[in-house]
Amino acid sequence: MKPMTTPTPATPLIPLPLTIARALTTAGAALTALSTFLAWTWTKAFPGNLTVTGYPGGLQLLTLTGALLTLIQLLATWNTPGLRWLSPTRSHTPTTYLAAGTLATTWYTLIAISVQLGGLANLEPGGYLAAAAALLTLAGALALPFERRPTHAARTPLPPPRPLPAWAEILIIAAAFALALSVLTYGIGTAYGELFTGFLLLTGFATAALFAAGLITRLSALTHKHRNITVTAAFIAAAAFPLTQDTDEYTLIVVNILIFSTVALGLNVVVGLAGLLDLGYVAFLGVGAYTAALVSGSTASTLHIHFPFWAAVLTGAAASLVFGVVIGAPTLRLRGDYLAIVTLGFGEIFRITVGNLNGESGPSLTNGPNGIPNIPDLAIGNYNFGEKQKLGFITLNPFANYYLLMLLVTVLVVLVFSRAGNSRIGRAWIAIREDETAATAMGINGFRLKLLAFALGATLAGLAGTVQAHVAYTVVPEQYVFAGPVPPNSAFLLAAVILGGMGTITGPLLGAALLYLIPAKLQFLQDYQLLTFGIALILLMRFRPEGIIPNRRQQLEFHEPTTTATPPAPKAEAQTS
Amino acid sequence: MTTTSDAPAAPLLAATGVTMRFGGLTAVRAVDLTVHPHQIVGLIGPNGAGKTTFFNCLTGLYTPTEGTVTYRGTRLPPKPHLVTTAGIARTFQNIRLFANMTVLENVLVGRHTRTKEGLLAALLRGPRFHRAEKTSEERAMELLEFTGLANKRHHLARNLPYGEQRKLEIARALASEPGLLLLDEPTAGMNPHETRTTEQLVLAIREKGTAVLVIEHDMRFIFNLCDHVAVLVQGQKLVEGTPDTVQSDERVIAAYLGTPLENPPGDDTDPTGDAT
Amino acid sequence: MHELPQTLVSGLALGALYGLIAIGYTMVYGIVQLINFAHGEIVMIGGFGALTIRLWLPGSVPLGAALPLMLLGGALTSVAVATAAERFAYRPLRGAPRLAPLITAIGLSIALQQIVWAFYPDAKKSRSFPQFGGDAFEITGNIHIQRDDLFVLIAAPLCMLALGFFVAKSRTGRAMQATAQDPDTARLMGVNTDRIIVLAFAIGGAFAAVAAVAQGLRAGQINFEMGFILGLKAFTAAVLGGIGNIYGAMLGGVVLGIAETASTTYIQDIPGMQQLGGGGWKDVWAFVLLIVVLLVRPQGLLGERVADRA
Repeated sequence: MKPMTTPTPATPLIPLPLTIARALTTAGAALTALSTFLAWTWTKAFPGNLTVTGYPGGLQLLTLTGALLTLIQLLATWNTPGLRWLSPTRSHTPTTYLAAGTLATTWYTLIAISVQLGGLANLEPGGYLAAAAALLTLAGALALPFERRPTHAARTPLPPPRPLPAWAEILIIAAAFALALSVLTYGIGTAYGELFTGFLLLTGFATAALFAAGLITRLSALTHKHRNITVTAAFIAAAAFPLTQDTDEYTLIVVNILIFSTVALGLNVVVGLAGLLDLGYVAFLGVGAYTAALVSGSTASTLHIHFPFWAAVLTGAAASLVFGVVIGAPTLRLRGDYLAIVTLGFGEIFRITVGNLNGESGPSLTNGPNGIPNIPDLAIGNYNFGEKQKLGFITLNPFANYYLLMLLVTVLVVLVFSRAGNSRIGRAWIAIREDETAATAMGINGFRLKLLAFALGATLAGLAGTVQAHVAYTVVPEQYVFAGPVPPNSAFLLAAVILGGMGTITGPLLGAALLYLIPAKLQFLQDYQLLTFGIALILLMRFRPEGIIPNRRQQLEFHEPTTTATPPAPKAEAQTS
Repeated sequence: MTTTSDAPAAPLLAATGVTMRFGGLTAVRAVDLTVHPHQIVGLIGPNGAGKTTFFNCLTGLYTPTEGTVTYRGTRLPPKPHLVTTAGIARTFQNIRLFANMTVLENVLVGRHTRTKEGLLAALLRGPRFHRAEKTSEERAMELLEFTGLANKRHHLARNLPYGEQRKLEIARALASEPGLLLLDEPTAGMNPHETRTTEQLVLAIREKGTAVLVIEHDMRFIFNLCDHVAVLVQGQKLVEGTPDTVQSDERVIAAYLGTPLENPPGDDTDPTGDAT
Repeated sequence: MHELPQTLVSGLALGALYGLIAIGYTMVYGIVQLINFAHGEIVMIGGFGALTIRLWLPGSVPLGAALPLMLLGGALTSVAVATAAERFAYRPLRGAPRLAPLITAIGLSIALQQIVWAFYPDAKKSRSFPQFGGDAFEITGNIHIQRDDLFVLIAAPLCMLALGFFVAKSRTGRAMQATAQDPDTARLMGVNTDRIIVLAFAIGGAFAAVAAVAQGLRAGQINFEMGFILGLKAFTAAVLGGIGNIYGAMLGGVVLGIAETASTTYIQDIPGMQQLGGGGWKDVWAFVLLIVVLLVRPQGLLGERVADRA
């Protein structure tokens, strides 16, 4: 079957005959792999113990992985039997990406060693070999012929895959999830910042390679075909995570990522679907959290009541809903920019108000700047979330309990997002976002639908907030700022949605995970974290405003030239008739 | 006001004394117009005559400074989306499609006002929801076939050629099952072949039971289609009647060609309108 | 209504400050429909620029003599940052959907805050700013004006008049009006709209510096975070007065300033609301005012003046 448009082959950056290019790349990859078995530095002062000859450690493992992947990908494109499935597009671009990723992480490691230990003298010959070999690999890869990436609209469809029995396809999906989970777990579990940076570099390039190889497209097709299995597999994979952990250390991180992701997904309804500019979203999270804190029997709470969990959740969500309507009703009738300012103001006012309600500067309700500590653990029936529980042969630590609860909430929010988006209401939201005047002419009540989206978003945030209050044991006003180093805050939430990809489900989840992990892991950036964040936002909107996981619509909106169809002859196209 | 065509039933749309003022500028001045069921009425006039402004008064986008508009005997609701629910649909002079939605999705949005499955139904996904979605898709496909766009239903609206975008706009407007369709310069920029196709389409729309009020500059289009034509010049209705009457009226010719008149309706006549 | 005259005077000083900042917001929004989120930080940077000049001058120079140089220094820094922001952050995004420049503005705002926090010596806490100090001027028995407030009470009207004259009478000013009303047609008439936009940013920046010096004089200190809440309130003022309307911005600022001052004075006298009248609540009342205005008169006191992009 012929492709519709043939990609235009271009001369490689480094013109060399194909066989030489291949040989170079292979040799380079092999050498790079080999170099990881040597010592790269003489002292253990650099974390990961790169001083051993005989087996790779720490960042060397990343280099090794990168080199092996490059080799395998090259062989796949070389039509090696058994590996052909790894490169449906038969393009050399993935190899180049992988080579670049290996180079990036290797050179980063070596530079980090030099910088931290004070000089190139700290590198062992193994390190120099690694640097040279990685460079050689990339040079070889750049000498391979590559196809210029077609524009999104004209992307060549892949040749259809070899048909597989259903069980095999499902197995592939499961394997893909297992792989993703391991990669994620490894990333979360990285013990020191340098390892995390190297990990990010390698995964970033590897993901680009996956896309370029067409494997993501293949996987998407499979998941599309077996929709329900995919969702179940994802759920099982996520639920299984705490079982892989011995301690609570990483489970706590993942719970917080989940909370952050869920709230980001809620914001995605408001910003990604309906296109409303909400800059104070974290306040709704706070309303839910504070409400739950007040009614859950904390000793510091001014309301001495202790609702059962389901009641606390409903109260928290309802409180957020009320505030959402109160803020939205006057503002959503007006131009969208006003909503941005009002929500920003609301975010600040919420924080100031709860900080003031300590009996002195204001009526006593929320215990002022000290917040409400000692929120008791959740207990549903006999199941106390704060204690280790045994379910059959599985032991669940306290944070594992909360994790599973939060997972349920996340699933709920994903469901809401997906169902609302693919419906009459969802279409109306997108129509309003595209052209509100035209949408109104279709009979859509713009104000009512915008209020619906806004209120729904607020409710979801409130829901997440009630769980957050229990996980964090305390609620304080300082958590709910517009921008700060610790997520979640409104700026980070917005960034998570946009970085990940507005309007998609996986987008905000990915964006939230990245934005939570990066500041947490890269401690050496300490003072410059927010600065990096600000600059990253600017660069993101300049070069990839649709985010990592592009919504098809968004990509077109941002990149294709606005082709308002103009009539062929300049007939009477006057503004007024 | 003389209506020469046979007007059997009560008027579908009755605009009486509609005046629209923007600060010191009077864009539309005391215009009366009726549209009867099954009629195709044309609204012509030089550029700047106030035709689109008048349309906007008919769809609730503007509230007339003076005068009333009734549809099927009841006054028009003040909000545009309510006007569509009441039964008047429109297209726009500059195409306003939902560019990044598919052809099918555009028409589905058009059906919004005739369906009522809200957020709760969408979240619960009961049988009623699925039935409604299926019905909506079927109706939308009918309309796409009616306008000849069925094979492009998953194309993005922005990728359609100009003529098909215009057709999509009409299909989308028809999705709300209107009793009256307002077309604002539907053949602007079309070649003669596309214009004939549009003529056929409008006739077919009338066959299906929807009355049509159309703003146009293409005189042959008007004369082939319309039972009744009104001429708007400088915001006022100059003349009205059958296409023949209007075509041969001296004042109309003067308005388009610019011969000075003895009793001009306004100060200057703008001679930049298209001559037939 | 005790202390009404004093409240009015103090509120006027505060309001003039807000108004100067609001003008920057309103000019930019009127032309390009962009909320320049980073404008608050431009104020802050102007303040630090002025402070730097002061520190660079020998300590023996009296404040009154140093003030013009401080203003100049502050204005140069603000204008530089504002025009750079326009050129490199906002201009590439001219045609993009509205979310893109807004996010960029947020990013820029955070980045500018952090740059000052990280790189300006000792900026992690507040830096003290010179003040005139001394006894307040007594107008009548009841009304006192702090010397440091005098600056803004003189500077703001001067700036307003200058700007008003410029916009109404000069050729460039008319070009600005044209661009604000209909950029496409203005371009067709030969107006270099790009330059006009740069000019709008620059004027906003200059006024921001004046406001920063005013704020520094009043508060005796500047800090890297001062732009955030000032910016928020100033945009509120711009909306209050009618977005896009320069006189509206100043009027809105004055109204907001007086309302805020009045809230600290009078609210606690309302039975049942004693606890809501303290200084900690003035921001809340400013926000409530914004909501009320949006409900009752969303086009603002003097009406909007925004280019129609429909």
